[in-house]
Amino acid sequence: MIVPHPHPTPESLHPSLWRASQLAHSSARCVDTGHPTLSSQLPGGGWPTGTLIDLLLQQTGIGELRLLRPALAAAASRRIVLLQPPHAPQALALAALGLPPSQLVWIRSTRSADTLWAAEQVLRSGSCGALLLWQNHARSESLRRLHLAAQCGETLFFMFRPLSSAQDASPAPLRLSLRPAAGGVNVGFVKRRGPQRDTPLFLPLNHSLLQRHAPLDRPLSVPATARGLLPELVQ
Amino acid sequence: MLEQERVLAVSPLARAAGVQVGMRRGGVLMLLPEARLVERDAALEAEALHAVAMALLQYTPLVAQAEESTLLLDIGASLRLFGGIHALCRQVRADLRTLGFSGALSCAPTARGAWLLARNNGKHGHGRVLKMASLVRRLDRLPVALAPPARPFGAWFEGLGCFSLGDMRRLPRPGLQRRCGRPLLDMLDAAYGMTAELFQWLEAPTAFHAKLELFDRVEHADALLYASQRLLLQLTGWLCARQLAVLRITFYLEHERGKVARAPTLLDIALAEATWRDEHLVRLLKERLGKLELEAPVIGLALEALQVQPMAPPSASLFPEPGGSEEDCIRMFELLVARLGPDNVLQAVPYPDYRPDLANIWVPLHQTVRASVRDARMPGDAHSSPRPEWLLAQPIALLMRDHRPFYGSPLKMASNAERIEAGWWNQMQTRDYFIAQGQDHALYWVYRERILGAHLDRDPRWYLHGLFA
Repeated sequence: MIVPHPHPTPESLHPSLWRASQLAHSSARCVDTGHPTLSSQLPGGGWPTGTLIDLLLQQTGIGELRLLRPALAAAASRRIVLLQPPHAPQALALAALGLPPSQLVWIRSTRSADTLWAAEQVLRSGSCGALLLWQNHARSESLRRLHLAAQCGETLFFMFRPLSSAQDASPAPLRLSLRPAAGGVNVGFVKRRGPQRDTPLFLPLNHSLLQRHAPLDRPLSVPATARGLLPELVQ
Repeated sequence: MLEQERVLAVSPLARAAGVQVGMRRGGVLMLLPEARLVERDAALEAEALHAVAMALLQYTPLVAQAEESTLLLDIGASLRLFGGIHALCRQVRADLRTLGFSGALSCAPTARGAWLLARNNGKHGHGRVLKMASLVRRLDRLPVALAPPARPFGAWFEGLGCFSLGDMRRLPRPGLQRRCGRPLLDMLDAAYGMTAELFQWLEAPTAFHAKLELFDRVEHADALLYASQRLLLQLTGWLCARQLAVLRITFYLEHERGKVARAPTLLDIALAEATWRDEHLVRLLKERLGKLELEAPVIGLALEALQVQPMAPPSASLFPEPGGSEEDCIRMFELLVARLGPDNVLQAVPYPDYRPDLANIWVPLHQTVRASVRDARMPGDAHSSPRPEWLLAQPIALLMRDHRPFYGSPLKMASNAERIEAGWWNQMQTRDYFIAQGQDHALYWVYRERILGAHLDRDPRWYLHGLFA
C-alpha cells in the first residue's frame, strides 16, 4: 500500500523560497518600522537594510518622514544623509522627530549625475545610518547600480520618487506608494516579496501634530487682600 | 643623450635607425636627421634620483645613495610588514613606474652584491638572490668590468685570461692589491660578505617641497593627475620617514611665462583627518582637478606640505566597527566636498530665533561646531511648537477663494494659531502660523500677515511657508 508522501513546504527547502500566499523571509537585517500593522505586512517584519526601498509619493509633504520616524530615530546613532531633498530641511522639525541635528547631513547638487555619484559613495562607504534620496527621474541602470551599492553595507536606503514612476520597472525588492489620507497616510504595496495586496494600508500619523491642547489663559488665583493695610491688622 | 659630444644612451627607435653608443653628433644627425639630441644634465639626474629615494623611504628608513645612479635599500626589517620579498619588489617596481622611471631591481644578502647584480641586471633576468651560497655562485659569473675599480685594468685582466669575478678572486691577493690598489679588494670583500660595509643613509629634509617639470604643455586639468601622483608618492615616502601625517597640502600649477608673468595657480587641499597614505589624497585630487579650469597651459607642478602633525598610532580595537570607523565617514564626506563643493555638503546649526527661516541655519560640514554650542542653541522642548520638515525658500502667496486660502484645493485650518512676532531690529515679522489641511488631507504650514499696510480694508494675505513631510 502506498502511503501518500507529504510534500515538503517550499520554505523548508530553501530560505529564499516562499508561496505566493506567504510573506518571504528576509535575508537582510530589518529595522522595525514602529508601526505594528505595517511591520506585519513587510517581509522580514521591517524595513530591510542594505537594499533599495522605493517610496512613491503622490506629492512631497504628505507625511513621508513621519512614517519613517521610528526607523530613522533608531538609525540616528550614525549620520543620516538627506540627499537632494525637494526643499530646505528644517532641523528643529527633524529634532522633534527624534533626529538630533548633529547627525544630519544635507547634500545638495546641481546635476543629477553628481547626486547619483554622491549616493553611491555614501552607500559604498557604509558608514552612515541612513540615506534618503529624492530623485524625480532615475534610469533603470542607475537604480540597479544604487541597489548594488546599497548591498555593500547595512545602510538604510530610501529613495523618494513621484507616484508616476510606479509603472516603470525597478530592481527594488520593496516598493510602496504613499497617498495622503484623513489623519494619516495610505500605504499601497506596489511590490513586495509576498502576496499581492491591492487595498492600501492606512497608518495614522497626524495625532502628534494636530491633537495638541493649547494652554488656556487662566486668571491667577491670588488671595484678595485689603489694599493698603497689612492683613494681620484687618479683623 | 649626449655627453661630451658622444652618444651615451639611445632610445629603441634610434637604435633601430642604426644609432649606437659612442657615435658623434654629426654621425647621428646623418643617420637620423629628426633625432632629438639631449645633453646630459647631472643636476637633473641627481634630482630624479633624490625623488626616487624620497618615494622609497616609505619602505625603509635606510636608503643610501651609491655610485652610478643607484640606490641601496636595507629592507631586512621591512619584509614582514610589506608581505614578503616578492610583494615588496612588486611595490617598488610599481612605484618606479608611477614616478616615470625605469630601473633594474635586485636583492642580495650584501649591499655590494645587490649593486653588482643590479648593474648587470639589464642583460640577465631578475637579480633576486636570497642565500649567500647562491649569491657567491651568481657573483662568480659576473664580468670583471662591472666593478668600477677594475675598469682601468680591463686590458690587463683580459690578457691574463681573467674574465669573471670568480677568476679574479682566484688571483693572489697581495699581487692584486699591488697592481690594482686597495679599492678593488675592498669591493670584492664587501660583495662576498667578508667585510662589513658602512653607508651614509639619506636623511629626509625637515620640510617637504617637490617640483616636477612636465614634458609638455598641459591644457586640461585632468591630465595633471598622473604627474601629481608622482609628487604625492614622494610625499608619502617623506611622511613615512619622518613619522608625520599631513593635514594640508598645496599644489602649485606653474604656467608658461608668456608676454605677462602669470602667478602659479594654487590648489589647496585641506583634510579633516590627518593622513599619510596617498590613496585618499589621489582620490581627493582627482575630484578637485576635475572641477578646475585652467586659464593657461601648465608646464610645471610643485607640491608643498603646509601643515603636518605626528602620525597617530592605528586604532587598537579588536573588532572592527560595522560600517567603518568615524575616519571612514569623514573621508567619505571629504570626497563629497571635493566634488560637490563645500557649500553643498551641510550640517545643521539651528539659530535661536523665533523667525523660522532665520532659525534654520545650515553651515558647511567642515566647520567644526562644538556640541555644547549646538545644544545651547536648541529649544528646551523640540515638541513645543510644530514645525514643518520642509521649509520653502520663499513663502508662496496664496490665492483667495471664498475668503479661504487656496492651494490646489481650499485649505481648512486644522490647528490653533501660533503667533510669531519678532525681528523689529532688522526684518520685522508679524505672522500667525496655522497648520492647514487641503482637501487631499495633506498638511501645509501657512501664515497670515497681521500688519497689512496702509489699506486697512484689504483682505488678509496668506502665504504657504512649509510642508509637513
